[in-house]
Amino acid sequence: MFKQKRSAEDFAEELQAHIQLEVDELRLEGMSEEEARRQARRKFGSVRREQEHFYMQGRWGWLDKCLRDLKHAFRSLLASPAFTITAVVTLALGVGANTAVFSVMHTVLLRTLPVKDADRLVYLWTTPPPHGTGTVNKNETFSYPVYDALRNQNGGMEAVMAYVPLSGSKVGVRIGAQPEEAEGDMVSGDFFSGLGVSLQRGRGFTAGDEKDHAPLAVISNDYWTRRFSRDPDVLGTTLYVNGVGLTIVGVAARGFEGLEAGRSTDFWIPLQSRPELNAWGNPLDEGKTYMANPTWWCLRLIGRLRPGVTKAQAVAQLQPVFQAAAYTGLGTPSPGDKKPVLNLVDAKGFPSYGEEYGRPLRLLMGLVGLVLLIALTNVAMLLMARNATRQREFSMKLALGAGRGDFLRQLLTESLLLVTAGGLLAWLFAIYATRALGAWAQIESSLAPDGAVLRFTAAVLAVAVVLFGAVPLRTALAGGPSLAIKTSAVVSGADTGKTRMGRVFVVLQMTVCVVLLVAAGLLIRTLRDLENTPLGFSTDGLVVFGVKPQIHSPEQGREFYCNLTAKLQQLPGVESVGVMMWRIGSWSSNNNEMLVDGKLPDVPSGGSRTVRTNVVGPGFFRTLEVPMLAGREFADSDTVSSRHVGIINEEFARRFLPGQNPLGHVIDTERRNFPITIVGVVKNHKYRSIDEEPIPMAWYEYAQIPVIGRMDVEMRVHGEPLAILPAARKVVQQMDPDLPLIQPMTQRAQYDLTISSQVLFARLAGFFGLLAVVLVAAGLYGALAYRVSRRTAEIGIRMAMGARRGQVVWMILKDSLVLTAIGVAAGVPSAMLVGRALASSLYGVTPLDGTSYALAVAGVVCVALAASALPASRAAAVEPLTALRTE
Amino acid sequence: MSTRASNDDRISLLQGTLDLLILKSLVFGPCHGQGIARTIQRQSEDVFLVEHGSLYVALQRLEEKKWIRAKWGLSENNRKARFYSLTHQGREQLAEKAAQWRRLTRAVGLIVDAGPAAQAEEA
Repeated sequence: MFKQKRSAEDFAEELQAHIQLEVDELRLEGMSEEEARRQARRKFGSVRREQEHFYMQGRWGWLDKCLRDLKHAFRSLLASPAFTITAVVTLALGVGANTAVFSVMHTVLLRTLPVKDADRLVYLWTTPPPHGTGTVNKNETFSYPVYDALRNQNGGMEAVMAYVPLSGSKVGVRIGAQPEEAEGDMVSGDFFSGLGVSLQRGRGFTAGDEKDHAPLAVISNDYWTRRFSRDPDVLGTTLYVNGVGLTIVGVAARGFEGLEAGRSTDFWIPLQSRPELNAWGNPLDEGKTYMANPTWWCLRLIGRLRPGVTKAQAVAQLQPVFQAAAYTGLGTPSPGDKKPVLNLVDAKGFPSYGEEYGRPLRLLMGLVGLVLLIALTNVAMLLMARNATRQREFSMKLALGAGRGDFLRQLLTESLLLVTAGGLLAWLFAIYATRALGAWAQIESSLAPDGAVLRFTAAVLAVAVVLFGAVPLRTALAGGPSLAIKTSAVVSGADTGKTRMGRVFVVLQMTVCVVLLVAAGLLIRTLRDLENTPLGFSTDGLVVFGVKPQIHSPEQGREFYCNLTAKLQQLPGVESVGVMMWRIGSWSSNNNEMLVDGKLPDVPSGGSRTVRTNVVGPGFFRTLEVPMLAGREFADSDTVSSRHVGIINEEFARRFLPGQNPLGHVIDTERRNFPITIVGVVKNHKYRSIDEEPIPMAWYEYAQIPVIGRMDVEMRVHGEPLAILPAARKVVQQMDPDLPLIQPMTQRAQYDLTISSQVLFARLAGFFGLLAVVLVAAGLYGALAYRVSRRTAEIGIRMAMGARRGQVVWMILKDSLVLTAIGVAAGVPSAMLVGRALASSLYGVTPLDGTSYALAVAGVVCVALAASALPASRAAAVEPLTALRTE
Repeated sequence: MSTRASNDDRISLLQGTLDLLILKSLVFGPCHGQGIARTIQRQSEDVFLVEHGSLYVALQRLEEKKWIRAKWGLSENNRKARFYSLTHQGREQLAEKAAQWRRLTRAVGLIVDAGPAAQAEEA
């Protein structure tokens, strides 16, 4: 059955024999030879069809048919390479961009944590905690006593797990001799078992490990690969974190990169209680680690619901426990206080991350969708145009007996081939684009187009196949077999249905193009504004790095930094050195309400009393070159024993000490720990990020504060800032060989990171705008050129009748200008809607920014004119006689 | 041939009936395709006009099932033709299908011929 038993020739011979026998018999009945032959043939019907029937009876007939279709499609696509290349590249760009953005969006928003039964995992969030507490994130972090109370309730939750980074960025690690950096989290003992993350090697942690603060570590698959080259003997290796030795006991399952959104954790250790390994790498607060400090809410919590328990039920059980525990160490709540409220959030992805990137990504997805729409209509238009010129070929085939099914198959095969080629190219494009996008967005968790994205792309492609297959078929069948007989180009070009559809497509593309260009314009202008925002000081020659020395007492810390500053100051090329506790331009800040002269300052209702504070060393403002408006800067003479002094910015003075000389006033935090006397006022400058609004600020002098640990060093140097780093590293390592420079970079680069998502967004929008323009130009050119070619005969007749070339050119130009006008008319209001949606991502421009709109419209008109010029000049060049002779 | 019987008199074959007719027409000895078509047409008094397309498809099918076998030979008037003959299996199939057919026609007859409607029609 798998081969044809009889040859086709044998079968043909049998059929011939049949007809011969019939003829013989008819002749016996008295017919003439000729009549008998005719009769016999007629009676038998189509011999060829029988032969085909026979041929198709073999089981592989359909495959054969497909192969033939494929070969045919190949040949016909190769015959028009310009069309094929345009269509494939258009598809690749449209679909590829879509896949790339979808991959990133999927990672950020949709991907579930690689854990067992992710549906039952929930993040624990809260409304802002009581007064008098410090938080890392006022909705997502909890104090250790709260965690302890929640995990012991034994109600609707199977487990409540805690995790907290060892540093806001990376932490100093040493495995061999050389210090390096890695990302590490401290976690509760049931972290791995509660999440359901398995270990590919060794073991996870136990409740005992947490209780004993065992010096153990589990490393991630990625870190194992990157740092240890997948060495099977890694278990037992000692990892020194901030100088504390930890033994590696396990390697986590592949794909688990921790719970820090957008970052991949390299190692986990059980919750510790020692100053070197405090949560977030913070120095001790009044000698207490996070465990002993009920007012520092710094742990993130994730829980697993018991099967069948809803979030609402679990919250109902936890709420009283939570609200009681929230006031540990704070006394009883005063009657007016709003108690914090616990809530549970699905832990399928990274919700807080989604907030930051989700909106821009969804908007980006919309832009990409528009580009895809342009690309698809472009290809449909190309195919329609191509198949209209092939109409006579189709009519001929219909006349020769090709069935509609054969047609559908042939056209579908052609589309399939185009889409497959486009899809493969798109996939390649997507791999690179995804990587670029991830790098731009600084998403460090692994980003690759994954299975779900593949399915998504496949769905888009399937739609493309059906669409592109069906559109030309309609055109082809509309022609009918009779068209083959008509030979006049005028006749075959006369039906208007298709051209109307073509016009609709062109207008649609224009509209979409205007929208994309406006969006791109708004975002690029936002970016320019952001980049040109004055920081309040010059970043030329500024370089910054962090150090986290082993410090056991404030005196030791002061000595270390004094020493370090002095040594760095002596390096050749260094102009000035300052130290700070919170690195500027890194989003980190310490926010408090502050008392002025012993009481909370009056602010107009609705005003905020929040003050951002930082702790800096002498010479800090001199290094930044931020001007002093009054008083003096910190000096070496400000010591722990001298009067405690502080510096404020002009916004602080304006808001809390209006109309007064701010110097000499005493300010303090609510907890009344360290009153300081204002000795200086500096000019407002950007502190956390480029796009922040001026906010009251106050600075402490580091030598006068008993909180000292990691510091960031700011240096202003002559020449290339980064060139000083090797020398600086040598200085640091002379003081302590275990110390790496943490995240060394120029201060400008640090500030630029704060607008990285806007930069990414604007660059991508600009890219998509450009892509749209190119695609629209190609599509418009194709459509117009095709229309002109169809009207060659008509133009010839017009010119023969006396039309001048100018009139012909105008006729063609007018055509595309009308389409452009309609497209712009529809595009501007749509762009306004999009602009409104973008409003929150804009900085310094309004959603109705005239320049962006004017540029977008001008861009579209230019594209239309450019794309029409060539067809128009071709039309004008038509020789009337030649045109008529082509009939 | 088709001129002899008007279209109205012809009945389309029931599904599967053609196989039975082919097998039956081969009972009296090997025959070629054209002969089989003729035999069926003649014996049915021109009621069945065998479509050649389905005839050759059916012959092919029966051959594949090994109910008939074929070999090239010469016709009475010395024309080369492919002659089909029944295999042992084919004979068994014929007996079975014929019996089935009789049961079927009897059953249909019982229903169609019984009752007043049939009587009235005959009258």
